[in-house]
Amino acid sequence: MNSAIPRQTGEQDPACYVYGVVSDSAPEPAAAQGVGDPPAPVVLVRHRGVAALVSEVDPTAALGSPADLRAHANVLDTVAQHAPTLPFRFGGVVRDVQAVTDELLDPFGDTFAAALEDLGDRAQFAVRGEYRQGAVLQEILAARPDIAKLNEQTKELSEEAGHYQRVQLGEMVAREMAARQQEDTSALIERLAPLTAAASANGVSADLAVDAAFLVDSGRRREFEAAVEELAHDWAGRIDLRLLGPLAPYDFVADLIEQAGGGP
Amino acid sequence: MARPSPSGLVDVVDLILDKGLVIDAYVRVSLVGIELLTIDVRVVVASVDTYLRFAEAVNRLDLKQDPEKGLPDLIQDMQEGGAKKKTTGALEGVGDTVGNMIDRVRGHGDDEDDDLTDEDEDEDEEDQEDEEDEQEEVEEEPARRPARRRAPAQRKRRER
Repeated sequence: MNSAIPRQTGEQDPACYVYGVVSDSAPEPAAAQGVGDPPAPVVLVRHRGVAALVSEVDPTAALGSPADLRAHANVLDTVAQHAPTLPFRFGGVVRDVQAVTDELLDPFGDTFAAALEDLGDRAQFAVRGEYRQGAVLQEILAARPDIAKLNEQTKELSEEAGHYQRVQLGEMVAREMAARQQEDTSALIERLAPLTAAASANGVSADLAVDAAFLVDSGRRREFEAAVEELAHDWAGRIDLRLLGPLAPYDFVADLIEQAGGGP
Repeated sequence: MARPSPSGLVDVVDLILDKGLVIDAYVRVSLVGIELLTIDVRVVVASVDTYLRFAEAVNRLDLKQDPEKGLPDLIQDMQEGGAKKKTTGALEGVGDTVGNMIDRVRGHGDDEDDDLTDEDEDEDEEDQEDEEDEQEEVEEEPARRPARRRAPAQRKRRER
């Protein structure tokens, strides 16, 4: 495709949305629907042993609808099932196919190829868990007599009279929950990381008890999945775990590029 | 354990937003600045209001009852979702799961292309995220608040 005819740059010409980079031996993502409305087909732009996953996009239309976000992830996750994939961040658009070849694949092809080789047949899995709020609040009351005491006190106070104490109570509970999130995420990583090539904890957000990503060799995938199942069983009634994957290595691609010694 | 398909919007947003290689760093000359309407992922403000919700939740907790009783509706949703989410072994999750999760997070039932970019709150969630140490919130309203952000694609975005 590097013989593609350069497009005229003009307001009306479609631009080129870039999803990620794969090896040029990767299969064409024939069925994948790209971003935009209507979605354009996703094609490979091959050059020097690597290939960019791209689709045409209207440069005057805004991007970011739920469908766009899903399309971006879906293209990458689908391709990643069949071939090592380096995902780009959502929203990357360049002028045309020629620019993809000239500015992206030509200067950085070697780096991408090295990173793809390092990645090999590993895929990312995300493990997320949500607390059963009742269970974790009970734990907190049991572990912290001071919180339990303040809880009893504020129950008896009117809304106005107990305002300050309630804020204090809520803050203590919030801190205790944050501490539990950290502990539980550490436990998750400690248990699963030995089965994986890399692990990365995401910053704890409000509604998740645990949130971590793992890079898993295809040969150890069953073992990893079994370990997650076991952990889900251990945490049953306390944390509801979810396992997402296999996915493109969103959380690890920056490191892969760095290790490949290249990048801009 | 649940094995939902990551087509759930919340999961997709968490997975891909601000992650991956930044094309700006590779391609400069031919970059097309396209308007991005992205979603505010983790706006969580430690506020008096948040603390009061925690206090209410713990105040309502009846130690003699089932742990799940007496808590806000959030819990009910979680339980229901949890029961349906037992899809052990299947790589592709159940469609219900996605809907349930979005219901819970967004506070209503439509997980399709609804209103994600329709709120006019201009919030810079990245800064807020950094500034707030406390990230706790118990509420059934969206923890992930839609925000309209006008960010040209060539804007240099901060690496995590």
